[in-house]
Order: sequence, then structure tokens, then C-alpha cells
Amino acid sequence: MSVPSENLPPDPMPTVPRPEATPRVLLVEDDGKIAQEVIEELESRHFVVQHEFSGAAGLSIGLNAHFDVMIVDRMLPELDGLTLIETLRERQVHVPVLVLSALSAVDDRVSGLKAGGDDYLTKPFAMEELAARLEALLRRPDTSRHTMLRAGPLEMDLITRTVRRDGELIELLPREFRLLEYLMRRPNQVLTRNMLLEDVWNYRFIPQTNLVDVHIGKLRRKIDETGRPPLIQSIRGAGFMLRVS
Amino acid sequence: MFRNELFRTATFRLTLAVVAAMIGSAALQFFFGYSQANVFEAKRSDTLLLREASILQHETPEALEQQVRDRATDDLRIIMNATTLFDAGQHYIVGDLHSWPTGLVADGRVHVIAPEATGGSSVTVLRMVAVSVPGGRYLVLGRSRQMRTELRLMMRHSMLVSIVPTVLFALITGIILSHRALSRVKVMHEAIDRIMEGDLHERLPAGRQNDDLQRLAGSVNRMLDRLEQLLDEIRDVGNDIAHDLRTPLARVRARLDRALNADHSAEALRNVIARTIDDLDQSFAIITALLRIGEIENGRRRAGFGTVDLGALVADIVDLYEPIAETKGIILACAAREAPIRVQGDRDLLIEVLANLVDNAIKFTPGGGRVEIHTAMNGECALLQVIDTGIGIPAAERKAVTGRFYRSDKSRHIPGSGLGLSLVSAIVALHHAQLDITPTRVHERRPGVTMTIIFPPFCVVQAGN
Repeated sequence: MSVPSENLPPDPMPTVPRPEATPRVLLVEDDGKIAQEVIEELESRHFVVQHEFSGAAGLSIGLNAHFDVMIVDRMLPELDGLTLIETLRERQVHVPVLVLSALSAVDDRVSGLKAGGDDYLTKPFAMEELAARLEALLRRPDTSRHTMLRAGPLEMDLITRTVRRDGELIELLPREFRLLEYLMRRPNQVLTRNMLLEDVWNYRFIPQTNLVDVHIGKLRRKIDETGRPPLIQSIRGAGFMLRVS
Repeated sequence: MFRNELFRTATFRLTLAVVAAMIGSAALQFFFGYSQANVFEAKRSDTLLLREASILQHETPEALEQQVRDRATDDLRIIMNATTLFDAGQHYIVGDLHSWPTGLVADGRVHVIAPEATGGSSVTVLRMVAVSVPGGRYLVLGRSRQMRTELRLMMRHSMLVSIVPTVLFALITGIILSHRALSRVKVMHEAIDRIMEGDLHERLPAGRQNDDLQRLAGSVNRMLDRLEQLLDEIRDVGNDIAHDLRTPLARVRARLDRALNADHSAEALRNVIARTIDDLDQSFAIITALLRIGEIENGRRRAGFGTVDLGALVADIVDLYEPIAETKGIILACAAREAPIRVQGDRDLLIEVLANLVDNAIKFTPGGGRVEIHTAMNGECALLQVIDTGIGIPAAERKAVTGRFYRSDKSRHIPGSGLGLSLVSAIVALHHAQLDITPTRVHERRPGVTMTIIFPPFCVVQAGN
């Protein structure tokens, strides 16, 4: 799988992004303070953010201008977030939408996704999580039926269920294979613990223990044996990344 | 005031309705009785008149005239009230009637004649028959309605005599019963007023009668007990939330305060911020867990119910927790079972339950210990067990651990919110299942805990369904 270099995570030093690498984000959020934080964070990551306070304004802008991704709060004045998304989908606007909400119940998440949202993030959230999910939405994994995945020195054969690093076979347990497949489909993307729990294991609870870290640790010991440059990296306060050049 | 209330009670209104029904049914009874008697009397009169006429028709003119004359004075007048002989021109010869009654036809049939048609006779004759007798004369026989009038009077009188005391008796009984009911309702009203004024320990008076009012009072009292218990719980939870949130928030404040006043390097500041975020995350985790417990206890989560295979659930959880158990040097095992056990439930919630129990078991089991997950059938009930050889829960605390924010003294040093088992018990209750906490007996030195979720027979999906 090829890796689009323009979507690499931001450098620690902010640089002026190239025009084609600048994703446009429409943020529809009525809480000014949260919106300000989100805007500053996203702008520091070279996103161009347009902010609207009400659902009605968000809908009118969303229908008439092109955005790469939208962030929509569920509870909005004039027009609620879910109706906004439903109307967009009815009018054939297929921009990926991240639903933002204080409602965290599974039923609320399901209704958010059913309305046409592509991902759901509950408040309070870490900025890293928001950014990671936005990047994941911007770069939908290649779900085409490739039987071979490639990321840097790693090669995964989905038919024979084998993994090789620089041609050398690595023995993985089924759960490690599943985790690595998820990482390899999203190279150079920050993947939060919640994303891994939700997408790899399909669980929606917050474990009290460092479950995900332990799984990643096990996988890392097999993939990044001593002497080789580490591929799986921990991103402090955020999650993990399969960094390949 | 009290009198007005008395007349407005349901008992009194019911009494009034019963009295009205009694009067109505008595009136109907007397009406039909009187009608039947009336018809009977008319038939009897007709038979008498015709039979008498037939007998007298055969008398000789002289004998007949004599008999008619005698009848004006003899006892038979009581039965046959008018007997008169007219000539061929319908002129009076002898008898009670002095003129031919208007409308009477001498056809040998009974006719009903109005009183004025009899020509001012003192006798009110209503049923009459006129027959021709030997000598070209006419004999008129009449029978008055006196008997019927008397019957009517008698029946009306007896109706009044019987109805009035019955109605009075029913009314007095109704008033007494209403008065008693009203007194009890009044006491209940007073108790309810005191409860509404804030005295939540007040209860409706419990009497000895086992009537509907008493049963209603019993139900209201049970409802008040539950409400009082819920209010106490809410108060406790409020206090617990305040306390448990104050701790991490106080730490956050102290740390930020220190960071503001000290001259820290950028790295040190980053460190302070990271630790502050951890504390805030802990606060959010508490709030999120409380919201989830509230949501599950409200029973809103039944939408996700379906058939869940407990064996598959266990396999998933073992797969998820095996690495962490391994890291801690604990053996995580599940007993394989050939026949699958299926229950009605929400997979996501049951996974959360199992994850919480296994998480706890691993957390509280020292290295070298063992955590086992079993599924089994006990009669018609399905069992899901998590058995550990950890630090155990003292018998006195076994009930308390499922309460919100409860943390055993032994577990204070282990991180956690004290909400895990509350969440478990809320989810278990949503599934109509039961959570049993018993000591594990497999290990002498380490008692450990066995957490058993018992699904009742109606939650178990039988094979083939």
C-alpha cells in the first residue's frame, strides 16, 4: 500500500503547508471556547478551519462549499447536528463527518453513525484523539481486496496469514496479526487506544488496565527485534503509530 | 363541611345508587303484579257475568223479575253489582239501573262501559253484558271495578309501607359506612399532607382491616419506602461524587498552583501538564462511569439485546486479557465446554461485565495466581463465573462492593474508581440476572473470589431455538 507523503503527521516546528496538503475542515460547534481550542489545535496541524456556531449556518456552508472533512457537534442551536448530517447525505454531500458529542451512550453513538456520521467522539476528548480520528477519516484505509499489504519493510499476506520483515518470517498469534493488519492499513497515522479497542476488538468500554499497551508491547517485541529500527512507536499522550518511510 | 364531604364520598354515592335501584325494582315488581291481577280480575268478571246471564236466561219471566227484584237487596250484590230488566224497547222494568247504558249492545258479550253511560247510577259499573230473555225483554248484568280499585290501593299501600323503611335503612347504613371510610381517608390525607411538607418518614396509617383501602395504603407505604431509599441513595451518591471528584481536582489545582508560582523548565511544565491531564481524565472517567450506570439503570439499553453465546464471549475476553495476565505472571484459563450456552442479552454490555470482572480479578491476584472463567448450566440457569486466587473480599464487604464508590481498605492502593462493580451489577440487573460473590475454595492460603452471574431460565436460549 502506498503512503501519501503529504499526510504525514506534522513536524514539531510549524511550517507553511503546501496548498494541496491543506485539508479544509468545517467545524460546527456552538461552544465558543471548545471551538477556539479545536481551531488552534487544527491550525497548528496545518488544517484550514472554518467555524460556524449554528446548525443552520453549518448546513448552508456545508452544502455550498467543498470541505475535506466536517466536525459536527450533536446539540446545536436552530438545527441539531444529526439533522444537519442527514440533510447533507440526502443532498448527496459525502464529506466525511466526525460527530462530536457530550452524549456518550452506545445508543447515542449508534444513532450518530446511522444518521450518516463516519466517526463519533465524545466530550471531553483529547486533542490528539480528535486529530488522529480526523486524519483517519481523511485517509480512509484502502479496503480494496488486496491480498498483500506492504508498509516499509513489512509484508503481510492475508491469504496465507503470514508476515515478513525484510523477507524474514515473523510468527504472530491471530490477535497480533489482526492488530498489525490494522496498523499496516494506516501507516504513519496516530492511532489512539480507543480507536484500537473499538476497531480491532470491536469493544466499547474503557478498561481500567493498560490493555492496549500490553498488546502493542507484545507485537512490538516480535516486529521490532533488537538491532532493527523500531517501527511501532508510542506517541505520548495520544497512542501509537506504525512509522514507515 | 364534614357533612358535605360525607355526601361526596364514593360509598355514599354508591348507597344512593343502590337505593334508587331498590325503589325502581320494587316499583316494577308492584306494577307487573298489579297488571297480572288486573287481567285475572277482568277474566274472572267476564266468566261470572256470562255464567250468571246464561243461568238467568232460562228462568221464566215472572221468576226472573222476582229474582232481579231480590238481587237489589241480597248478598249477591257484592258479586254482581248491577242486575236490571228492560223491556223490548229498552225501557226500565226493575233493577239497579234506571236507564239503558249508552253504548251497550245486547249481543251476549261483555262490554266495558264508562260510569256516566249508566245514567247516573250510584254504582260504578264498568263491565256489562246484555242478553235477551223470554218475554222479549233484556237482562243487563254488570260488575263494578271496585275489586280492582281496592287491589290497586292495597298494592300501593303495601309498596309504600315496605319501601320507606328499606330505603331509610339503606340510607342510614350508607351514611355510617361513608362516615367510617371518610374518617380513614381523612387520616390518610393528613398523613399525605405531612409527607408533602417534607416528613419523608411519615406513613399512611396501617389498619387491621384487609380491605381495598388498606391494601392501597400498604402499596403507597411500600412506594414511599422505595422513594425514601432512592432519595437516600441519591444523597449518598451526590456526596460520594463530590468527594471523589474533589480529590483529583484538588490535586490538579495544587499542581497548577505550584507550577504557576515556581520557575519551571519547559520539560518540567510539560510533565506537570501531563500529570494534570491524567487527574482530569480520572475525573472524567468517574463522570462517564456514573452516567453509564445511570443510563443502564434507567433500562434504556434493551435495544441491543439479542442471542449471545457465553462461550464465544469468554474466548474473546481471554484473547483480550491473556497478554496482560501473562505480563503479571497470572494464568488466565477458560474451561472449554462442548455445548454452547446462549442467553438473551446485549453483547457489548456483557463483554463490559466480563472485562470488568476479569480486570478486577487480574488486578487483585498476585503473580503466580490463577484466574479462571467458566460457563456452566445449573439446572435451567446459565452460569458465568470468574474465579480468582487473589486477595479475596471479606464476608462483611461482599454486599457492599457492588455499591457505588465502595473501595475495600485492602484495595485502596490499587488504582480504580470504585465504580466497576456498580456498573457490573447494573448491567446484570438489566439482564434480570443475579451476581453472587463467594470465596474461592481451591486455594488454602489465598481465598480469592468467585464472581458468579446467574441467568434465570427465561433468559437462556435453548438449543435449536
